[in-house]
Amino acid sequence: MTRTMVIAAGLVTVLAGGAMGASPAEQFLQGNAYFEARQFDSALAAYDQVVAQGVQSAPLYFNMGNAHFRTGDLGHAILYYLKAHRLDPADADIISNLDFARRFTSVQMEGVALNPVSSLFESIVEPYQLTTLAWMSSGCFFLLFAFLIARFGLGFRSSIVRTGIYNSLLLLLAVATLTLVKYDHDYLTRSAVIIAESAVVHTGPSDLSDKELDAAPGLIVEILSESGDFFNVLFENKRRGWIKKDLVAGV
Amino acid sequence: MTGNTRHNLLRYMMPAALVAGLFIGAAGSRAQTPPALEVRVSLSRDTIGMDERALLEVIVRGATQEIPEPKLPTLPMFEVYPQGRSTNVSYSNGQVDAFVTHRFMLVPTKPGVFPIENISVVQGNKRYRGNAVALTVVGQSSSASQRIEDQARDSDGNSRDVFAEALIDNDNPYVNQQVTLTLKLYVAVQTYGSPSLVEPTTTGFWTELLGTRGPYQQRVNNRTYRIIERRYALFPTKTGELSIGRATFTATVATRRQTRRRDPFDIFGMLGGGQEVQVKSRPLKINVRKLPTAGRPSDFSGTIGRFTFKATPTKREVEVNQPISVNFAITGVGNIKSVAEPAIPALPDFRVYRASSNESISRLNDQIGGTKTFEEVFIPNRPGQLTIPSLSFNYFDPETERYQTVHTRAINLNVIKTEGYVVSPDLPYSGPDNVISSDARDIRYIKSDPGVLGHRAEIIFASPVYWAVNATPVLALMAAVLVRRRREKLKGDIGYARARQASKAARKRLARARKLASGGKAGQFFVEISQVLLTFIGDKLNLSPHGLTSDRIAELLADRGAAPEQIEATLGFLQRCDFARYAPSAVKQDDVDKALADAENLMVRLEEIRF
Repeated sequence: MTRTMVIAAGLVTVLAGGAMGASPAEQFLQGNAYFEARQFDSALAAYDQVVAQGVQSAPLYFNMGNAHFRTGDLGHAILYYLKAHRLDPADADIISNLDFARRFTSVQMEGVALNPVSSLFESIVEPYQLTTLAWMSSGCFFLLFAFLIARFGLGFRSSIVRTGIYNSLLLLLAVATLTLVKYDHDYLTRSAVIIAESAVVHTGPSDLSDKELDAAPGLIVEILSESGDFFNVLFENKRRGWIKKDLVAGV
Repeated sequence: MTGNTRHNLLRYMMPAALVAGLFIGAAGSRAQTPPALEVRVSLSRDTIGMDERALLEVIVRGATQEIPEPKLPTLPMFEVYPQGRSTNVSYSNGQVDAFVTHRFMLVPTKPGVFPIENISVVQGNKRYRGNAVALTVVGQSSSASQRIEDQARDSDGNSRDVFAEALIDNDNPYVNQQVTLTLKLYVAVQTYGSPSLVEPTTTGFWTELLGTRGPYQQRVNNRTYRIIERRYALFPTKTGELSIGRATFTATVATRRQTRRRDPFDIFGMLGGGQEVQVKSRPLKINVRKLPTAGRPSDFSGTIGRFTFKATPTKREVEVNQPISVNFAITGVGNIKSVAEPAIPALPDFRVYRASSNESISRLNDQIGGTKTFEEVFIPNRPGQLTIPSLSFNYFDPETERYQTVHTRAINLNVIKTEGYVVSPDLPYSGPDNVISSDARDIRYIKSDPGVLGHRAEIIFASPVYWAVNATPVLALMAAVLVRRRREKLKGDIGYARARQASKAARKRLARARKLASGGKAGQFFVEISQVLLTFIGDKLNLSPHGLTSDRIAELLADRGAAPEQIEATLGFLQRCDFARYAPSAVKQDDVDKALADAENLMVRLEEIRF
């Protein structure tokens, strides 16, 4: 056992020595080695260096979420799981860890009132990236125009072509709607995660305003507007309030 | 029947008969010893005035659904009015637990102290007796009834038809101790419909409705009132003086005239419509005490009442790193909703997660209580005989005015070592190959493949490639439509088709003329080349080339804006061709080459004319 630990520590030291000038992939693996050796802070430092090079990937953010979770930083863990989820919405590991980590938020937003229509749309687009949906829309667009060319360019007047036009038009409308829902959810809606251990939500954009509620790290909010040092945020159970900007991190 | 068959029958029937005999014996013994019953007798008040009533409750409890009716002794000093019964049956671990509560209204006929005893139920051959109680009847009204009498009179001393009263059972409770608020509506006249109630404000209390009772009757100031009661359990959430606001009852009552002289056609007294009356109860003040500091446990969470604490694991044997649920149930009387989760100390052998909590609230004998259950998930880190230690739960008992601590029993678990288990000082997460289901108990392991470490891509809608690709089918459609239209025009408009194809046809004939020239056939060459030009002009104008004379060509070209020198050059070229056709021997190779060049040049210039 002791021998294994010594070898692991030696491996970490050797990897750390070669950190200077390492490629992002090498730094990623180095972070993993630190994680294996249960040196989570060092693992995070290595992963941060990858991010500092301007690159990203779902596994990178996933591992960063895991390292933050192990250090007890629930807010950042959920933040990085969400970032990973946005890049790879279908990854079961990311979904599982995100769900698992969210169980640990000390304040649970009970009584969440969900809009059934938007919930349905969001559940459909959940496993897809925006790029995938955008190209699916393009595919439907191509299909529609193929039928239009057959009808108006080549003069085919059969019922198959006519039905194809209607069906491909409906398909295009459906997929384009889903694409817009995804675009709205991922890019137009500004999501953030509370990262501070103690986060007071006020009724107005000032420390002097009354307290609306005590938030907890890991809670996901939607940023509605901002004023000075405060964000106006909407919680998942539709409660609103103002919170200091440095207490949250944007997804 | 052979001896062998008889032997086999005996062999199988004997044990069956024995088993059947045992069952019958067990059933018989059970029938002989019916479950024991318990009879409890209580009075709503110990002392009443002559014009008051007391409620006698007889609760019969037993582990059977068939609870017999209680027998009351003769009570000559009271008029006894049955007020109904209520039944409460619960099942737990296959056991029946039934309560039947019988209520009787006692109206005194004379003052004195009257023991009420020998209330009993008979089951089988056995009689179960209840406890004895005593009711004191005083000759004059008690202070409470004096207050009600005062309420029943208006400022002029006249008797009120309708009035409301609010009562609490404790005006000096501890914080979070139950106070029972009773709202009563007294009505001495006929009412139409059900009275409505606007509940009093109870700021500073957590409130739970206990129930409604009545109507029952009571005599106040020599008038008989029908009374409807509504009771609430209030739990003060802070110390100091708290107020309970006025309750407002609204009832439609018959006016005195309607009450005294009923319309003979209004058989049921419903035609009058009545008069809406609003009555309010008096506001109440409660002084809420702080809990004593003496003897308060350091981990006291503020729960008040009387509780038991029990831990039940779902199993006693579990594999290492696999979850086991333990239900911690806190049962008793008190504000069950405010019961806090029991504190679990750090356990090095386990990881602990809270899975869920639920509560069931009961309202037995006007006391809020019930059970709050916390399901905790324990995941053992190592194999062996592990123990979930005894947990404690503290509460303050307002009856004894002391803090109490109850404990669960320690739970011993046999944790089995699984194949492939590697001893680790702490294994806080699953291995990379361990796929965990959606009810995961830990995070999934880190990923070893970094994936595509790319620069942050712009959103796809900002990419020109995306829009260029999507523009392709639009352009393709436009092109296809244009081609189709052109084809249709070529097909349907001969003039247009000849004009569009004139150049192409002319070039083909020029190529043929070039071959004739190179073959030494000068006469045929000039015939062909003149036909090229004439056909070109005919195609452009949708005319037959055979009818085109020099004058007609000059006229047509002039009409379409051709320059005079261009017309002249065209006619000159045609004359030269005619000359060469009829005198081919005078034609030299230079003349042929020049004619070819001139023909091409002329056609280029004619193309510029808008035919």
